[in-house]
Amino acid sequence: MNAAHRRLLFTVIILAALLLQVGVAGEISVGSVKPDILLTATICWALFEGPTRGALFGFWGGLLEDVFTTAVLGVGAFAKTLIGYFSGELRQRVVSKSVVWPMLIVFVATLLHELIKFAAWTMVGLEQRPPLNPGVVFGLALYNSVLTLAVYPLLGRFAAREEREMMFQ
Amino acid sequence: MLERRSRRQRFLIVILVLVCILLVTFYSRESENGLLHRLQRFSMDVISPLQKGMSKVLSPVRNGIGFLVDLGRARGERDRLKEEVRQLEQRVHELEDMRRENEALRGMIKVKEAYPELEFLVVEVIGASPDAWEQTIIIGAGYDDGLQEYMAVLSEDGSLVGRIITCTARSSVVQLITDEKSAVGARLQRNAEMGILRGEGGGRVHLELLNLEADVRTGDVVITSGMGGTCPAGIPIGTVTEIGEKQADLSVGIVIQPRANMTRLDKVMVVVSPRPTSAPGMAKGGSGI
Repeated sequence: MNAAHRRLLFTVIILAALLLQVGVAGEISVGSVKPDILLTATICWALFEGPTRGALFGFWGGLLEDVFTTAVLGVGAFAKTLIGYFSGELRQRVVSKSVVWPMLIVFVATLLHELIKFAAWTMVGLEQRPPLNPGVVFGLALYNSVLTLAVYPLLGRFAAREEREMMFQ
Repeated sequence: MLERRSRRQRFLIVILVLVCILLVTFYSRESENGLLHRLQRFSMDVISPLQKGMSKVLSPVRNGIGFLVDLGRARGERDRLKEEVRQLEQRVHELEDMRRENEALRGMIKVKEAYPELEFLVVEVIGASPDAWEQTIIIGAGYDDGLQEYMAVLSEDGSLVGRIITCTARSSVVQLITDEKSAVGARLQRNAEMGILRGEGGGRVHLELLNLEADVRTGDVVITSGMGGTCPAGIPIGTVTEIGEKQADLSVGIVIQPRANMTRLDKVMVVVSPRPTSAPGMAKGGSGI
């Protein structure tokens, strides 16, 4: 796969994840917990592609999500960039064939993602920021972990062969 | 080479983070009509038809998830309601017991008012004879409570139940009027014709009138005669339900339906005063009042 193809694939996956996030996530919510498909895709992509591509995926995905929702523009991009980068960094440290590891990473990364977002809102001084509800955050982390069972193998098919062989599956 | 790549990576991250911070800063400082806000509103307008379509298409999925969530909640609710029903049923039983007890006590008060010359002791029934041929009950009071043998025992509504045949310190055995060995002095309330009421076992009693030509009718009320000195006179026993043909010995089979329900006795009233003036002529377990 050449560079142009990879860029195209990258764009298509981000757009697909974005469409799923804005169009589908709300429809498959459980109680007040709405899955963060884009975040799950960012982490899984970073686990296959490394920190740079993970951060880029997080940045563009988060930015587009901010643009297409009523969120404070830049906060989602900021949080997902950091999560994408650090998840990519983990790729070089954790090598396992089990799908449990990606699920665990998604779980912890989701908790961090929500904390980063909340910290960013606080720093901006957003008066109408949503309250940090530990129950919802925990539920979201759990939901995203379960979602990893579908997202991780799917993105694994598009990841570069050498990356795939290195990684969990 | 690797180090250069790593430096490039870090530089890129720093740039991305800076862009994010700049975006957040501009966005939060500009007015509602600022460029970024307008861009956001425009994007939402663009995406809203897609969201509507998705919402329609995915409504079965949403409903399915809702159903599963509700199912979980419904189970919890069902268990809670089951427990509530159990508690309420228990409460209903308790209240029913209290109502019955209240009724019984009211009945007993009426009985006491009807017989001011008598003194009663209310005693709980604690058991029945395990012997199928013996119609007796055991009550939870004995000598220590002032009871003695041959005392008459009434039901909660003041009907004759039987008499004490065995007395211990804390319990007594009451021979019911339906017992085969029981014989009670009785008379018809309408015309005072005297007779002896005898148990037949199996919940039946019959009356043997002394006057074989006496006028007796179905529905006549039978009361105690007071003869023998062990049972006060005038205590209701039952009513005549059946009058048979004259037998060879000229006696007539008069069947009496006892007024007291012998199978549902919770508490009974023992006539403690006046005390029995004489013991029946027959041996314990086969005697008359």
